[in-house]
Amino acid sequence: MRTLRGMTSAISVTGLVKTFGATRALDGLDLEVTTGEVHGFLGPNGSGKSTTIRVLLGLLRADTGRVRLLGGDPWADAVALHRRLAYVPGDVTLWPGITGGEAIDLLGRLQGGLDPARRIELLERFDLDPRKKARTYSKGNRQKVALVAALASDAELFVLDEPTSGLDPLMEAVFRDEVRGLRAEGRTVLLSSHILAEAEALCDRVSIIRHGRTVQSGSLAELRHLTRTSITAETARPVTGLDALPGVHDLAGGDGRVRFDVDAEALDAAVRHLSGFGIRALTSAPPTLEELFLRHYGEELAEEQLPEAVRS
Amino acid sequence: MRAPALAGTGTLVRFALRRDRVRLAVWVAVGAGLTAQQSLGSQAFYDTPEALAAYRASVGSNAATIALAGPPVGLDTVAGAVAFEISFTLVLVAALMAMSTTIRHTRADEEAGRTELVRAARVGRHAPLLAGVGLAALGCAAIAVAIGAAGVATGLPAGGSFLLGASVGTAGLVFAAVSAVAAQVSGSARAAYGIVLAVFGVAFAVRAVGDIEGDGVSWLSPIGWAQATHPYSDDRWWPLLLGLAGTGVLLAGARALLDRRDLGAGVMSPRPGAASASRLLGSPWGLAGRLHRGALLGWAGGLVALGAVYGSIAGSVQTLLGDNPAAETFLPALSTAGLVDAYLGVTLGMVVLTTGAYAVSAALRARTEESAGRAEPVLATATSRPAWLGSHAAVALLGSTAVLVAAGTVMGLSAAAATGDPALTGRVLAATLAHLPDVWVFAAVATVLVGVLPRAASATAWGWVAYVVVVTLFAESLDWPSWVDDLSPLAWTPAGPGEPWAAGPSIVLAAVALGLLATGLAGFRRRDLATG
Ligand SMILES: Nc1ncnc2c1ncn2[C@@H]1O[C@H](COP(=O)(O)OP(=O)(O)OP(=O)(O)O)[C@@H](O)[C@H]1O
Ligand SMILES: [Mg+2]
Repeated sequence: MRTLRGMTSAISVTGLVKTFGATRALDGLDLEVTTGEVHGFLGPNGSGKSTTIRVLLGLLRADTGRVRLLGGDPWADAVALHRRLAYVPGDVTLWPGITGGEAIDLLGRLQGGLDPARRIELLERFDLDPRKKARTYSKGNRQKVALVAALASDAELFVLDEPTSGLDPLMEAVFRDEVRGLRAEGRTVLLSSHILAEAEALCDRVSIIRHGRTVQSGSLAELRHLTRTSITAETARPVTGLDALPGVHDLAGGDGRVRFDVDAEALDAAVRHLSGFGIRALTSAPPTLEELFLRHYGEELAEEQLPEAVRS
Repeated sequence: MRAPALAGTGTLVRFALRRDRVRLAVWVAVGAGLTAQQSLGSQAFYDTPEALAAYRASVGSNAATIALAGPPVGLDTVAGAVAFEISFTLVLVAALMAMSTTIRHTRADEEAGRTELVRAARVGRHAPLLAGVGLAALGCAAIAVAIGAAGVATGLPAGGSFLLGASVGTAGLVFAAVSAVAAQVSGSARAAYGIVLAVFGVAFAVRAVGDIEGDGVSWLSPIGWAQATHPYSDDRWWPLLLGLAGTGVLLAGARALLDRRDLGAGVMSPRPGAASASRLLGSPWGLAGRLHRGALLGWAGGLVALGAVYGSIAGSVQTLLGDNPAAETFLPALSTAGLVDAYLGVTLGMVVLTTGAYAVSAALRARTEESAGRAEPVLATATSRPAWLGSHAAVALLGSTAVLVAAGTVMGLSAAAATGDPALTGRVLAATLAHLPDVWVFAAVATVLVGVLPRAASATAWGWVAYVVVVTLFAESLDWPSWVDDLSPLAWTPAGPGEPWAAGPSIVLAAVALGLLATGLAGFRRRDLATG
């Protein structure tokens, strides 16, 4: 784990275990969120993101492990800590007979008050009608109610559990803009997601979890070291000898065109090798989190799928 | 060829049966068990012609019993006495079963969005409604057969036993149809339950008045239809036709309403509400007040009406006694005034039990909020656990207190007006106030269960309510051991205006309620939030 010299941490979790009967939802999870950063919290369905967040909010009690939030204990100091944070649940359910506007006011006041000007601005930006009863809102609009309530507050820490689920692309863009605004104001955001593009667009650092355990954590730049760049090149002469270079994978092509993936540390050597054959065109696709994800889970996925393949 | 609007009904019924097989089995077992219990108890109790004659005389002059049970017919046989004593309770069981089954599979599913999923498959528009009513009808048929079998197995005549079962089952069917209409009218399951319970209350009040006055008004009530079959005496089957016809008319109405509304909506189209919250809606207390408002008003209205009806019947108690000189030989200790007091005591007990049921439902609202995921966003704000659960417990306590005092006041006023005895107002109110610790215990039992045993809270709390109701109605008449009775708070409180009140038991009950509340709040602070 990275040391955070000179920076305070907004969230610090080590060795967190949480079981529900026989289910081990969290199995020694670590999470470090620095004050002022937007931290992506990534993992596939059922990996334990929401469970972690509920422990952070003092809604669930940790079995073992050390959990600190804004310098306090989220279970014992829940009320005091909650004044300083805002939360958007993954699955927003609202009160049937209460309008969206009322729910926003209620949640805002319970948290410690919201800025009326911000409320108006956010309702407008998210294009939300506050006069509708919760029962008549669409899924995306219920999500917007929770988002407006959270974003109109003056919290230091924003805990957002898959906040864009159900939002259309236009609203997603508004949301991203708002998160960038929060970062500019120096607020901390924990953003759980399985939409990787969202994490890529917004996050300073990410933690990736699977089966209740942190498998990877760091800045996107750091994580990219672990990934491969895709290169497609057209050359004057047919390329030879590339497959002998260490770090080059999945080489394909012929007739003056090659395509391959290359580890970050071998990129320089590979490009130098190519230039010996007269590069006419070169495209390189930076590694995406998608790939990172797939590579992390790919082997295990392949293992899991193998028996099925054998059967069929 | 099947009508396309009904496509998929069979599949839905089978699926619903799978979901509900345990529930329905419990309801049916309760019906059969109550019947067998009453049959064996009455046969042991009225084992001589003299005992039966004494019973007949006391019942014929006891307006309380008639108001609660039904028309005093067929009391010259033990079997007839069994039907008299148990038929209303069985109708209540069947109606609750039919109501919960029908609404669970119609409006509640629709509200949760499950109907949308189902209707998107090859399922016709009327299919979910028909499946819900169909499952309730299956339950009614099962309870009818079970009651008949329980009667026969305990030695009662077969014809009367199955007629009793059929009467109860048909009454259940009518309330399944009432529920089907309510599920169309209202946009929420909660309100639909309220409508059905209100209809049941009116049906009960109409037949209570009709049976005491003997003026035929009971024919306006579906409960009256069920009791008009007179099992074990006249053995009339034709009143069942009234129930079936009523069911048909109501179902046709439900279908017409269903055709006129959108999926997910009620009959009234939703109007836009407030764009921002009033000043009140800014604390857990304000939220609880808002969430409980409708139910509190509904229960208060129903209970005040019940108190008014019970009070107004007090006048007839004197008349009935005058008509039945034999009663005085068997009840020498009771003066007319004593009978009126006894009547008011029994009926006040019913008001207290119903208020207790309200207190339980209000306290359990916290659990509904939690499992629906609506507690989570609130508890993620600066709202403490005790404040959140305490807000619902406070509504249960204060709401049931207000409801009981209002109902007792109205009951006393109407009893005073009916009997011409102005002192009754104060005496009934005093007896009502003595019952306040009882309803606090109801609220506290539900709260401690929410705090400590969330997933079992609802079933356990309602199971306990059913226990207290059964004990209050039957413990005395069936000679159960005294500890059975002692587990009910009502056993510790003077029943009515005639009985002396002592501070001791009331203080103990209040302390028990306080202890349970504190345990519930502490337990809730210590446990995980249990969503889903
Ligand atoms: N209250 C509970 N009781 C039992 N099991 C639970 C409970 N809550 C969560 N789990 C289990 O814990 C695991 C982690 O669930 P969690 O909701 O944290 O996943 P998630 O990463 O948020 O998934 P998603 O992306 O689908 O939201 C799952 O296997 C889930 O079934
Ligand atoms: Mg989740």
